[in-house]
Amino acid sequence: MKHLDDDQITAAVAELELEAWAEEHLASCLSCRQQVNDMRELIDLRRDRLSGEAPDWQRQRQEILLQLPSTVVARPRRNPRWLRPMLAAAAVLLVTVGLGLMRLTAGGGGPEAPELAVEQILAEVDAVLADEAIPGFESIDPGMDDLEELFSNGAS
Amino acid sequence: MTPTRSDLSQGDDPLVLRAQAGDHDAFGELVARHQRRVWLVCRQYLGVDEADAAAQDSLVKAFTRIGAFNRRSAFTTWLTRIAINTCLDQLRRRGREGLRVEEPEGDEGPGIIAQVPDDGADPEARTLQHQAVGRLASCEDELPARQREIFRLRFYAEMELEEIAATLDVHVGTVKTQLHRAVHRLRKELGAYR
Repeated sequence: MKHLDDDQITAAVAELELEAWAEEHLASCLSCRQQVNDMRELIDLRRDRLSGEAPDWQRQRQEILLQLPSTVVARPRRNPRWLRPMLAAAAVLLVTVGLGLMRLTAGGGGPEAPELAVEQILAEVDAVLADEAIPGFESIDPGMDDLEELFSNGAS
Repeated sequence: MTPTRSDLSQGDDPLVLRAQAGDHDAFGELVARHQRRVWLVCRQYLGVDEADAAAQDSLVKAFTRIGAFNRRSAFTTWLTRIAINTCLDQLRRRGREGLRVEEPEGDEGPGIIAQVPDDGADPEARTLQHQAVGRLASCEDELPARQREIFRLRFYAEMELEEIAATLDVHVGTVKTQLHRAVHRLRKELGAYR
């Protein structure tokens, strides 16, 4: 009889998919099942211990409700991320066309008026680009580097 | 009664809509449905003394931001992200002391898994059990951060693989790979390979 290898035992402990023959073997082989169960029992023990630390839910709920503000502040909808580069490109195009038109109509007049218009447009572009937070997700970090730094100190 | 994992998101929408209109009672019901999950998530990042406060903070934040929740993701996913962010912010604020779940360290050598006694065992056996759990906690602390995070969210916060992937914004295949590696390493460290 072919027993499960370490990778398959690990997959079974992690409750990941196993091939059909491995599932069948696990159901009938005491030795392999024991290896899986030993680790699972230890994990279950630790989970039970953590769950045993849970606060009084009723008390927690009451404390939360006492902290709620009287009204919900709805945020205005923000532009989606994919729109921002397009808006930036459009703004740059607008600046270029605007400058060209000003030069044509002013016939090489003073620089004050075009500079003011450029500053205004660039400020609007900056505002669009700075508006990159997604409500509720502002600091989620998809990478691992920061997590490594946060969790990298000593034993528990 | 505590809702099961699969029940968590069902029936949230009407409550979310009412909460978005400022209905405290509806939000109270959402709290009742999700507070256990939020606390379990916070407990994986913070100590027991901090997890309650972080869970409360997360749920209050959720209420203040619920007007911006667009329901493109499940409410529970959105809420879990807020909880994780709250914990990470707290870890950053306190000077990067790191994620620590207080457990006494076991002093056993390899092969500890096989020593875990059955329930109802005598005091000596319970001590062994206690030490075995402590050793597991220590070994978890040695895992790479992402593996540890995924392992704990899966087994202790009782999240499904797909939920973890959505919450951490990674592919579900990544979650499976990291989980497999975490379990492999823990089995090796705990002496499961005989």
